Amino acid sequence: MRDLLEQTIVSAQKGLEDRAFSSRELTEAYLKQVRGLNGNLNAYLTVCEEEALDMADASDARREKTKALGPLDGVSIALKDNMLCAGVPATAGSKILEEYRAPYDGTVVKKVKDAGAVILGKTNMDEFAMGSSTEHSAYGVTKNPRDFERVPGGSSGGSACAVAADMCVAALGSDTGGSIRQPAALTGIVGFKPTYGRVSRYGLIAMASSLDQIGPMTKTVEDAAILFNEIFGHDTHDQTTIEAQSFEWKPRTDLKGVRIGLPRQAWGEGMTDGVREHVTQGVEILKALGATVVDVDLPYIDEALAVYYVLMPCEVSANLARFDGIRYGLRERVDTLLDTYAQTRAKGLGEEVRRRVLLGTFALSKGYYDAYYRQARKVQTLIKRAYAKAFESVDLLVTPTAPSVAFKIGEKLADPLAMYAEDVYTVGVNVAGLPAVSVPCGDHEGLPVGMQFIGRHLEDADVLAAAYAFERIPR
Amino acid sequence: MAISSDELRHLADLARIAVSEGEMTTLGADLEKILGYVGRLSKIDTTGVPETENGPEVSVLDVDIAAPVEACVLEALVENFPDRVGNALRVPAVFEHPKQ
Repeated sequence: MRDLLEQTIVSAQKGLEDRAFSSRELTEAYLKQVRGLNGNLNAYLTVCEEEALDMADASDARREKTKALGPLDGVSIALKDNMLCAGVPATAGSKILEEYRAPYDGTVVKKVKDAGAVILGKTNMDEFAMGSSTEHSAYGVTKNPRDFERVPGGSSGGSACAVAADMCVAALGSDTGGSIRQPAALTGIVGFKPTYGRVSRYGLIAMASSLDQIGPMTKTVEDAAILFNEIFGHDTHDQTTIEAQSFEWKPRTDLKGVRIGLPRQAWGEGMTDGVREHVTQGVEILKALGATVVDVDLPYIDEALAVYYVLMPCEVSANLARFDGIRYGLRERVDTLLDTYAQTRAKGLGEEVRRRVLLGTFALSKGYYDAYYRQARKVQTLIKRAYAKAFESVDLLVTPTAPSVAFKIGEKLADPLAMYAEDVYTVGVNVAGLPAVSVPCGDHEGLPVGMQFIGRHLEDADVLAAAYAFERIPR
Repeated sequence: MAISSDELRHLADLARIAVSEGEMTTLGADLEKILGYVGRLSKIDTTGVPETENGPEVSVLDVDIAAPVEACVLEALVENFPDRVGNALRVPAVFEHPKQ
């Protein structure tokens, strides 16, 4: 039974192919694991037991009759709770959507379903993806499987925990400022944020639309590539998706001829000693693999977090205007229409969400727009230019994923700025729309450390190929 | 940058979020701290720098045609409505003092 839970997408597919186990057996094993652990870990908000077993049986029947649909057929995966899966709750971690059931499948959900994946359920997250610890979920914190007193990171903390604790083979998360990569780093898994525009967000509950991107959270880099290959592509339902795009998985076993830049700004102060020790060792591995490693300058990157905390709340204040108690979700019954809006939102939205909505409302209001929003958009241009310039002389950039290992539950809750600083190494990538992956690079006192590979626009394959070469080296 | 309680109340009105008096103090302090941090952007010289554009470069707008929806989707949409009588959706009155 145990080995059924240690499957990757690749090994599960092989096991299914060789008839070593059926999709039903695999699914039952994961559901049993979820039943056993979820009470403690709180990784899943909804478990779709019956539906999952039906999907598994359908997959087994398909394989028996003809042949499997592809690498995901019969493989158990989990979805972050901001993705719509028809008939299943989608709370996005918020009380305001407690009773909401998705009326249709989002594009990525449809794609993984069409590929035969077995959807086990929906995973916990910071409310509307706003947070770096899942402590801002209205449904309780998710625990880090390595240490139950610590957070799994966020906002895709439930998906990260589910993968790390063998409660699914792989999961999907969403990343607006680091929400796939930071929890991946803190739980010791692989988290990949594709280039902005690669993956459709149709059916993803929006947070900050100019930054949001869906991506895989997996046990290996190869699994991330496989899952990405199933979900990327143009979609008429999401106008930001890039029309002509392709992806070819070309794993590398060495990094000869690859030029890797270490941005001075990311390798200075700011990371803890434990993180520094492991990412420094990671860089030595890159050199041993044949990469040329040089220091590079990324001017303005220190401003990325500030740019993010202007642009994101502005978009949040607009995107979350739809949660007004009228069309779906919670409605407070009060005398006037205005009070219906105000009371519903006061009751249904959590503290962090309200804080960001007000912040965005402020930055977009008359007299402040130029100083905050417009200025942030200009600095965003400077940041994009800085990356473009750096990529003239190197092929990839490497940084730590998060400044520290998983922190204690409650440690940063009272100080929003301390929590925001969790994204300091990841957020620039979203501001510039680039692809990046976090890969485990060792444990500090039993807690995982992640290293981040950042690539050029649309060169997602290069990022994954280098991360694959790195991951293969035992440490 | 300090935000006065009047200004905060105005923001809460604009954002359609009821904020209690007790909450006002902590919210004000939090916003002030965050604005203090992002205020660093004002020190950056952006003379001649354009704003980032992130809309699609070509027009990708669909023709606005009502698309048919499956009955189960329609049902799910109606089911999600917070207040209804059968298929009639009930919303609060727009006028603040409707005739009883």
